Amino acid sequence: MPMTPQTAQGKAFIRPCTVIYLLLMALTLVTWALGKFNAQIGLPAMTLSMTVLGIAMLKGHLIGDFFMGLRRVRGPWRWVVTLWLLLPASLITLAFMQAGQ
Amino acid sequence: MTDKLKQPPGDLAIWIFICAELSVFAVFFAAYAFTRAKHVELFNQYQQTLNTNYALINTLALITSSYFVVRAVAAIREGSQRGCARWLLAAIAMGALFLVVKSMEYQHHFSHGVTLSTNTFYMFYISLTFFHFMHVIMGMVILAAVALKARRGAYTADRHTGVETGASYWHMVDLVWIILFPLVYVMR
Repeated sequence: MPMTPQTAQGKAFIRPCTVIYLLLMALTLVTWALGKFNAQIGLPAMTLSMTVLGIAMLKGHLIGDFFMGLRRVRGPWRWVVTLWLLLPASLITLAFMQAGQ
Repeated sequence: MTDKLKQPPGDLAIWIFICAELSVFAVFFAAYAFTRAKHVELFNQYQQTLNTNYALINTLALITSSYFVVRAVAAIREGSQRGCARWLLAAIAMGALFLVVKSMEYQHHFSHGVTLSTNTFYMFYISLTFFHFMHVIMGMVILAAVALKARRGAYTADRHTGVETGASYWHMVDLVWIILFPLVYVMR
């Protein structure tokens, strides 16, 4: 199923990588806004931290899949970026939980 | 559906190198987080001295540069050598913007007497971001070399491993910053 709008000729006029780029930019603005305006938003520190870490993991996964081209790769290399993201994210989560105790 | 590749785009050696680099940064991130756990007040206090607007501009610049690199790879796959070189030059310009903004940020802190030995937070902030800063410079040199070769017609639609190799390295630099930005500037 095509993920981008089609022209009358059936050719995509916006590339999938452009859609991903715009999504990455939007997610970056969300991360920045959560940090900048958290005093007004009032999220607990742990919720804020885990939310922006989750957004970072999603962004990293999109970069690996669509920018680095790993979605077209099979075997262990397919998951190299996702596995790497899980490693620091797990350790960071553990450390932040430790700090919150 | 197209057949999937056995190996990631570019030279396999660069992927081994990327794995090594990512491992080093993962250790750095974990060290930051676990040290922070022991000095939460200090880290939260000095994190507030960082300029998140600069960090936002830098994140947008690196993501944009990565997008330009994706377009450069797409251009060479379509056989456009000049198009490839142009997209790479645009990516390098975004990398330069990152360096300028980061230098302004360093200048601000250094002019206020901040050094590596000011406190543990600044030690991590300076060393982590400067280590990444050096990778941006390295990535720009690689992209410049690839752009020059593309302009000279060294790559074609069928033979462009060099472009994909340079692109993979640059995306790795972006990937690292994607974690570094929330960890150092936002998470508290």
